Amino acid sequence: MTRLTLAIFLASSLAASPLMAANANNTDTPTAEYRKQWHSDILTGYQNLAAQSQALATQATTYCQAPSSEGFEQTQQAWLEAFLAWQQVRFVDFGPVEQGNRAWQFQFWPDPKNLVARKASHLLKGDTPITPEKVSESGVAVQGFPMAEYLLYDQAFNNGEEALPTGRSCKLLVAVTRHIAGNGQSLANDWKGFQSNYLGSHQYTDTTIRSAMAGLEILEERRLATPMGLRGNGKRSVYAADAWRSEASLAAIDASVRGLKQSFLPAFSKLLNDREQTELAEQIEQGFNEVLANFPELDRPMAPLLADDNAYKMLQSLYIDVTQLTSLVNDRAAVELGVVRGFNSSDGD
Amino acid sequence: MPELTRRSLIKTALAGSAAFTLSGCSILPRKAASHSPQQYTGAVGLPGDRFAVGAIAPDGKMLWQSPVNTRCHSGCNRPGTAQVAFFERRPGWAFYVLNSTSGERLHRIIAAEGEHFVGHGVFSPDGRYLYAPANRYEPGEGIIAVYDSHRGYQRANTFELNGIGPHQITLHPDGQTLIVGLGGILTHPDYDRIKLNLPTMKPALVMMDRGSGEILGRFQPSHHQLSTRHVDAAPDGTLYAAYQYQGPAHELPPLVARYRNGHYEEIDLGEDIHRALGNYIASIVAHPENDLVAIASPIGGTALIFNSRSGAIIEKAAIPDCAGVEALAGGDFLVSSGRGKLVRIGKGKPAKEIASMPVQWDHHLV
Repeated sequence: MTRLTLAIFLASSLAASPLMAANANNTDTPTAEYRKQWHSDILTGYQNLAAQSQALATQATTYCQAPSSEGFEQTQQAWLEAFLAWQQVRFVDFGPVEQGNRAWQFQFWPDPKNLVARKASHLLKGDTPITPEKVSESGVAVQGFPMAEYLLYDQAFNNGEEALPTGRSCKLLVAVTRHIAGNGQSLANDWKGFQSNYLGSHQYTDTTIRSAMAGLEILEERRLATPMGLRGNGKRSVYAADAWRSEASLAAIDASVRGLKQSFLPAFSKLLNDREQTELAEQIEQGFNEVLANFPELDRPMAPLLADDNAYKMLQSLYIDVTQLTSLVNDRAAVELGVVRGFNSSDGD
Repeated sequence: MPELTRRSLIKTALAGSAAFTLSGCSILPRKAASHSPQQYTGAVGLPGDRFAVGAIAPDGKMLWQSPVNTRCHSGCNRPGTAQVAFFERRPGWAFYVLNSTSGERLHRIIAAEGEHFVGHGVFSPDGRYLYAPANRYEPGEGIIAVYDSHRGYQRANTFELNGIGPHQITLHPDGQTLIVGLGGILTHPDYDRIKLNLPTMKPALVMMDRGSGEILGRFQPSHHQLSTRHVDAAPDGTLYAAYQYQGPAHELPPLVARYRNGHYEEIDLGEDIHRALGNYIASIVAHPENDLVAIASPIGGTALIFNSRSGAIIEKAAIPDCAGVEALAGGDFLVSSGRGKLVRIGKGKPAKEIASMPVQWDHHLV
């Protein structure tokens, strides 16, 4: 958070009238049309998540009914597709995804205490039946993609006695993937039902822009800079990234940026153009393209790139493109539009 | 390691501006409460993810910055001494006791096992006991942890709040009653800041005897998701509570409540104001010299003053990332922001920036 707010601090100190610089509420532009577009674009993303999550649950059930190594790989593939569908809409941090901590249910992360592995071990070793109710009451570390990822990808687990397709592991996989599918479906439905409130409340324009800004900042700082060793103790560590078990950390970044481009950028570009920020809108569009130009080449495991200084340059190149995009959206556009995230406003205390 | 971002430029720029600028008048106004030291102390964020507690003097100089291990939130002056305590931000694993003249660190007291602090505390009027709201996080129980400064801040007592998620604490002018904002939100340090009980929250304004721990009063807001985080007490004993609404943004419930003469009532500032505040209040301060109350919201980037009796808005300003509020001698207020601004605002006195410095003020000034 600090980087962003410092940058804004600097930018704002150059503004002629700092007290008024960030007052977004004094614009009279009707903004419902942007929200209409956002609502539709995000709905598309949510419906894709619902469909991919359902496909994952179906595939997991099929696999556990008649296990095979081919079925296992198909289940891994279904997990990846559903997980990437989630990455595309992960930036949305308001509205129905807030209900019941759904975002956390989909992806409990970061997990510095490895709660996912600890909870899995606890559930699998116990005698209590693994039921949908058990998953519902076991907390967010059990209920989402990281738990299914653990069962499908964790190397130590897969070499152990409880590896899939043993009975309890399969029960847990099926229950967790069904929980994800249920959440995917309810989220898409609830987002539809949220339409009139979303279109009718102009503060959701800022909320939507802030959610994209937060998504970019988390992507730059926590999903990229931290595992790259650019933060904290300065050590490179793939375990600081998300989805390291499936080696999908970078594919997930690709998906998140594509998701922002598909579900956020269209209405945002229009808004910038309407505010006569045509050049900035073009730069932001270009910024998205430059980040995405790193892929699909970078759709590969992060760990080997961290281990080799030469390969690390590929990550640096992505990182530079991401910081430039983040800077355009979170610093420049934020100041132009008066939508800022701050040291205290991002704190929640 | 190549540092190819604007980050390094920012760092350089900030490092270069060691002194901060004072615009307008060069002397900060005095604090209203005469027994407090004439300086403003707050937790600050510094470039490079470093944190400190910092104090500025009325003449506008940064008196000191005392480095701390992690981001702090708020604190309290110790009456009768030149000491100030500051708490690590939730989940706070420690508090610091600093010499308020020099910034020298006198103590760093670690939370008891199974507990964490929440960023606030208050001393007894004689300066001996420190009352710190805390979370006993496995069972999810809110408590007031009592520390004895005469015995090196050993734990002296523990009072049960019979509720979840205490946040700010202050002392009633009777010197005996603790006023606690019970936010009602269950969190656990293993789960980041996930709010684990939004459907079943029971926030409240709690009054507690500081000697016995007996709960003398408990007042609940009109909606169970109005998290009652911040509190203040006026010299006449009127209490104020400020909420942070946990429901959807398009709903705009009351955000402020007042307790007076045995009645707890919410003050409706109007939907436009609630919208401008983003359903969130970070600080509430009743001015000891008049009937004005100031609130600040970093979410809404809005600070305002209202009349405590009528609820009428007296003054309102857009101040990005504003959160801290202090009462100034003469009847005005001082508002601090995460962008290093100090802004003066008062009745008939629109907001005026009086200082800007290369620090990020955290939520509260003391």
